[in-house]
Amino acid sequence: MVKKSDPIKTAARRIRNAVNSARPCKPIRDLIKKDDLEAAYKIQTLNTETWISEGRRPVGRKVGLTAKTVQKQLGVDQPDFGMLFADMEFCDGDEIDASLVMQPRAEGEVAMVLDNDLLHEQLTLVDLLDSVAYVLPAIEIVGSRIANWDITITDTIADNASSGLYVLGTKPVHLSDIDLRMCGMVMENKGQQVAVGAGAACLGNPLNAALWLARKMVEVDMPLLAGDVIMSGALGPMAPLSKGDVIEVRISNIGTVQAYFGDGT
Amino acid sequence: MIDIAKIAKVVDDAARNAKAIPQISAKHKISVEQGYAIQSAAFSRRMARGETQVGIKMGFTSRAKMLQMGIDDMIWGRLSDNMLIEDGDEINLSDYVHPRAEPEIAFLLGRTINHPCTAAEALAAVDAVAPAIEIIDSRYKNFKFSLADVVADNSSSSGFIVGSWALAETDLSNLGMILDFNGRPVQIGSSAAILGHPIRSLTAAARIAAAAGEPLQAGWIIMAGGATAAESLKPGVTVRNSVQDLGFAGFKVSD
Repeated sequence: MVKKSDPIKTAARRIRNAVNSARPCKPIRDLIKKDDLEAAYKIQTLNTETWISEGRRPVGRKVGLTAKTVQKQLGVDQPDFGMLFADMEFCDGDEIDASLVMQPRAEGEVAMVLDNDLLHEQLTLVDLLDSVAYVLPAIEIVGSRIANWDITITDTIADNASSGLYVLGTKPVHLSDIDLRMCGMVMENKGQQVAVGAGAACLGNPLNAALWLARKMVEVDMPLLAGDVIMSGALGPMAPLSKGDVIEVRISNIGTVQAYFGDGT
Repeated sequence: MIDIAKIAKVVDDAARNAKAIPQISAKHKISVEQGYAIQSAAFSRRMARGETQVGIKMGFTSRAKMLQMGIDDMIWGRLSDNMLIEDGDEINLSDYVHPRAEPEIAFLLGRTINHPCTAAEALAAVDAVAPAIEIIDSRYKNFKFSLADVVADNSSSSGFIVGSWALAETDLSNLGMILDFNGRPVQIGSSAAILGHPIRSLTAAARIAAAAGEPLQAGWIIMAGGATAAESLKPGVTVRNSVQDLGFAGFKVSD
C-alpha cells in the first residue's frame, strides 16, 4: 500500500524549497481545499516552526490584506497575518540586497511596538492603546514565493502572508501625538511619487488592523507579547521594486524612512 | 471658421439648464486655445447675468491624470460666486448633468499675484488654506471629451465647497485626505497627490493666469485640484472631505 503524503507537509516543503533555491514555485492551492484558510495557516505554522528550529528568531507579526480593494480581489472579507523574523528587519537608510526578496513590491506602513502582552480573550481597543509603546514609519517589502504572484487567499496565507522584509524608521512616536486614521502617506521611488494614501486605507485605521491581529493571535493561541513588532498594513497601493531603486516613505506627523535596493555589497 | 460666441452660448446653456451636449470637437475642430476663448466667452455670459468671479480652479493636477489624458500641463477654469455652495448646504442633482465630487484643498489669496512666481512668493501671498470639495460636472454626454472640449466647458467645474479656513503656515505637503459618503470612505489619499505639493498648483495657477492676462487677485479662492479620483454623486448622500490638521468641508445631496 502506498502511503498517502500529507498535503500540509508537501505544501510547506514546496514553499521552503522555493526559499532555499531562490526560485519561485507553483501555487499550493492544488494541495488543499479551496478557501480552506485553516489548512493554509497550518502550512504557514509548519514553516514557522521549522524556521524557528533552524534558529530564526520570531519578533512580531504582519497584517496583510488590510485594504478593502485587495480583499475584494482575493474574495475575502478579512485580513491575514504572517510571522516577522529578526533577519527580515532593516534600518532606515540601509542598503539592502534586492535579491533577498522574490518578486519584491514596496508598501508604506505604520509599525507598532508593544510593551505589554496582549493575552485577554476579549481584547479591546483600550487594551491595545495601553500596550503600544510607540510607532515607527516603515517600508514593507512584500514578496511571493509563488511564481508570478499567481496567488489565491490560501496561497498567500501559506506563504507567510507574502512577507519579505521590512525597514523601520528610528524615531519613536507616541500615539498621543498622532491621529493614525488621518495620517497622509506618500511613497517615492528615486524621487518619483509611486503611491499616496492615508491611515484610513488600512481597515479604516491601522489600530483596527492591529486589534484584529491581537484578537486573532489570542484565538490561535500565539498571543502578541511585549516587545513584538506589528507591521499593521499598507496605507496605499503597493509599487513594484527592482535593483537600483530607492524607496522613501513619508507618513505625516510620524516620519520618514528610506532604503536603497542594491546588490548588498 | 469657428464661431466662439455661438459655441460659448451652447456650453453656457448646457451648464445653466443641466442638459448634456455632444462634444464640440465632434463637429468642429477646435484647439485648446480656442477652448479657452470659448470658456472665457461663456464665463462672460455668467458675468452679464450678475455673477462675479471669485477665483479659479486647477485641473489635471495629478501625474496619473495627466498621463491618462496624454497631456503635460494643467488646465484651469473660472469660479463664480454663484458656483459657491456653503459648507453644510444641500444641493439638487437636477441642477447638474452627472456631477462628481473631488476632495481638494483651497487657497485664499491675500495679495494679487500678477507675475509668474516662486513657491515661496506664492506661499507669501496666501492668507489661509481650507479643506474643500469641487463638484465637477462635464456638460458633455458620458463625461467624454477632448482636452479642448473640457477647457471650453470651464474645465468641468460647476460648484465648490470650502470648509473652515486655517492658518497658511500649515505644512500642506502630505496631509491625509478622506472623502466619505454617509460616513464611509470612498476615496482615500494625500495632498501629496496634488503635484507632489499643493503649492505647486498655486504657482502653476499664477503662471497660467498671468499668461492669460488675468492675474490672480487678492481675495480670490484657488482650488488646487483633486487629490484622488472623483466620485459620482448619488441622491441622499452626505459628502465630506476630511483633511488632516485642517478640518473638513461637506454638503448633502437631496433625496
